[in-house]
Amino acid sequence: MTVIETESPEAATAGELSGEPYRVAMRRWLRANLPASFRSDSPAFSSPGLTQSKEWEAAMYRAGLAGITWPKAYGGHGRTLREHLIANQEIGALAMPESVNSIGKELAGPIILAVGTEEQKHRFLPAILEMRDIWCQGFSEPEAGSDLAGLRTRAARDGDIWRINGQKIWTSGAYRAQRCLVLARTGPLEDRHRGLAMFAVRLDAKGVRVRPIKSIDGRESFCEVFFDDVEVLQSDALGAPDEGWNAAIRVLEIERATNRMYRAWRFENELRHLISACKSDPALAQLVANRHYEARIGEVVVDIEVLKAHVETAVDALVNGDRIGARGSLAKLHWSEAHQRFAALTLELLAQASLPQLPAVQVARRRFEAIYLQARAETIYAGTTEIQLGIIADRILQLSKGK
Amino acid sequence: MTTLTGEGLQPSEFAVTAARAVADCAALGPREQAKHLANDGLLGVIASQDVGGLDLPLAFAVPVVAAAGSGLLGFPLMESLLLSRALQDTLPRAAEAVVSGEMLATVAWQGSVSAEREGESVVLNGWVARAACARDADCVLVRIGSGAAALVPTDSEGVVVEDAAGLDLTVPEHTVRLQGVTIPAVSVLPDSTWTLLGSDANVLRAAAILGSAETCLAMAQEHASTRRQFGRALSYNQALRHSLARQKLALEGIRHAITRSVGETAGSIERDAVFLAAAAYGCAISEGALQVHGGMGFTWDVPVHRHLRRVRALQAQGDASGSLAALGRRTIAAIAPASDVAVSG
Ligand SMILES: Cc1cc2nc3c(=O)[nH]c(=O)nc-3n(C[C@H](O)[C@H](O)[C@H](O)COP(=O)(O)OP(=O)(O)OC[C@H]3O[C@@H](n4cnc5c(N)ncnc54)[C@H](O)[C@@H]3O)c2cc1C
Repeated sequence: MTVIETESPEAATAGELSGEPYRVAMRRWLRANLPASFRSDSPAFSSPGLTQSKEWEAAMYRAGLAGITWPKAYGGHGRTLREHLIANQEIGALAMPESVNSIGKELAGPIILAVGTEEQKHRFLPAILEMRDIWCQGFSEPEAGSDLAGLRTRAARDGDIWRINGQKIWTSGAYRAQRCLVLARTGPLEDRHRGLAMFAVRLDAKGVRVRPIKSIDGRESFCEVFFDDVEVLQSDALGAPDEGWNAAIRVLEIERATNRMYRAWRFENELRHLISACKSDPALAQLVANRHYEARIGEVVVDIEVLKAHVETAVDALVNGDRIGARGSLAKLHWSEAHQRFAALTLELLAQASLPQLPAVQVARRRFEAIYLQARAETIYAGTTEIQLGIIADRILQLSKGK
Repeated sequence: MTTLTGEGLQPSEFAVTAARAVADCAALGPREQAKHLANDGLLGVIASQDVGGLDLPLAFAVPVVAAAGSGLLGFPLMESLLLSRALQDTLPRAAEAVVSGEMLATVAWQGSVSAEREGESVVLNGWVARAACARDADCVLVRIGSGAAALVPTDSEGVVVEDAAGLDLTVPEHTVRLQGVTIPAVSVLPDSTWTLLGSDANVLRAAAILGSAETCLAMAQEHASTRRQFGRALSYNQALRHSLARQKLALEGIRHAITRSVGETAGSIERDAVFLAAAAYGCAISEGALQVHGGMGFTWDVPVHRHLRRVRALQAQGDASGSLAALGRRTIAAIAPASDVAVSG
């Protein structure tokens, strides 16, 4: 196990840098400290283990690259959303692994900031940033996927204690998580959106069972989670009972609009990697120089630029104090489909290599085959494509559904 | 209006004026339109104050051109806007005449001519195309070689304006032949002219497409809510709801890309991408709107086809397929083979 040794993390956070100097500081720190073995575009790449990932992310946090906009009182860096965007552009530029705690940092954290009590904020938020608590998201159930309002996991109150019974599915990363953000029903099933509450459930609590599910990429990335009379203290209930649905919607809006804000820049990194790999193989170098593939690459550039435009517009809106609301669905639809188009192109191109044994081609194939498979989920999770289209039709275009 | 300056002014404020002016122009001939648009201060939005303009950034021309697209204005507005600024230093009198609506000028976006210097004159030979409303124009800007340009009066000896096939009926695009056309050397603009013109035109073409696409989607939305089949409004059907939702995604993509392309840090990639996105999405939106209209959409009376025609014409005018490949080519050229860089980024 390698221990991540980082250059003085203060370098990045020191002073009150903003704008370009802030960007330069973040870039310098990332480039000086990200191990080559973490970079999936490097021949030295080997997928980091959990401990390594946690150490790396904790170091990123200390350097000012996580909890960027969270208040200082809860361990955050108290910076602006624009700085968050800048940092994410720099994060995206490097082929680093996805966070093992993105649910904690990008979903649980914001929701706790929005509906949590002061005590909860102090208890949960620093632990997320320091990577002591990894979170997962327990929304989906076998009988409630797109139709979340149909979920059946129950929470019944018994004085200061809630008892949770039911089953969750597709819970990403549950096997390595300490906490699960559980959406459970407190009222009758017929109430649909009402009578739903949110809880921060410890996964080592008595009655919780986690069973990993093998996924398309051969990894065990998501899980089934069973709750059998699990006791949860009232102090771990997030927001008022009955407010669970609103809180959930807010989480999902965040998930769609601002989650992994580095996507467009990561996408650009992937495109650069694809091209550099193609240029190193004689047949591929010739292929990408023909007009057909030039135009296809041109289309990828346009997709990326449009994605950046969506992200930057969302940031501008949020900075101006607007709620993103249903508009998060626009960006989500675009990135998920654009990334799938790109992923298909990478396979199509790399399959035509004349020297498939070249290290550069091997590295690219390993990375893009994984990306292709993982991208199949992008039009499914965080609300499927069809659900996003429905949201745009209902809530943005406000098309009548009546007779 | 002409007394306004950039301070505190928002581009969106021009949208209302422009929409009204475009509506007023509907029944007018090109010359009267020029006067009318000039009176509203719309032709000199980005030209310097020395030639009677407002000296505002390109972002302010966006809502003006979008309104022209939305209202299907039959006037080379984008060309006038860009020319008023392109001419202001070298040919200030001409720029002034464009801004005031006295002179109708256009640009031939395709092709270039050869130029030979003869004393104080230059002789032009060749043919150019895609010159919007050239039949009515007093002057046409033609490209010389790869980067320079010259303003040529259409009544010069040796200039032949020909009708050209084209989808856009309200803004017909003409081919212009130049056979030994002699113009004063001062009418030749510097080498950088064409690049700047082309890059700004890409943003404004996107704006024009935005206007058309917005109108198409609004029409489709209205039709889907009012037309009934199987005892229900069309909008009840998920297939149509999803199709309209996709059109909305495309529309917002164009809008956001325009905002980005006129931002402080925008460069040539943003400029090219905004046009290419608008061309692709704009076609999808207007064709999609036509489909939602069913048989009605195919009739001459429903104006969706006019927007579709215009969007397709703009797509061709900006040579979308050529610039898409060029964008890819530039991107590919800028990146070194993997063997040279073990780790990218
Ligand atoms: C990799 C991955 C990770 C995930 N991680 C998590 C996680 O951490 N936590 C969590 O809670 N969930 C997670 N999910 C679950 C995800 O949110 C659900 O899979 C998703 O909401 C869809 O639900 P479903 O799978 O039940 O499909 P269904 O809802 O059954 O949908 C099946 C198909 O029918 C379509 N469909 C459904 N309803 C409609 C409709 N009204 N109109 C038109 N079409 C419709 C859908 O679009 C889809 O194509 C993850 C999923 C994946 C793939």
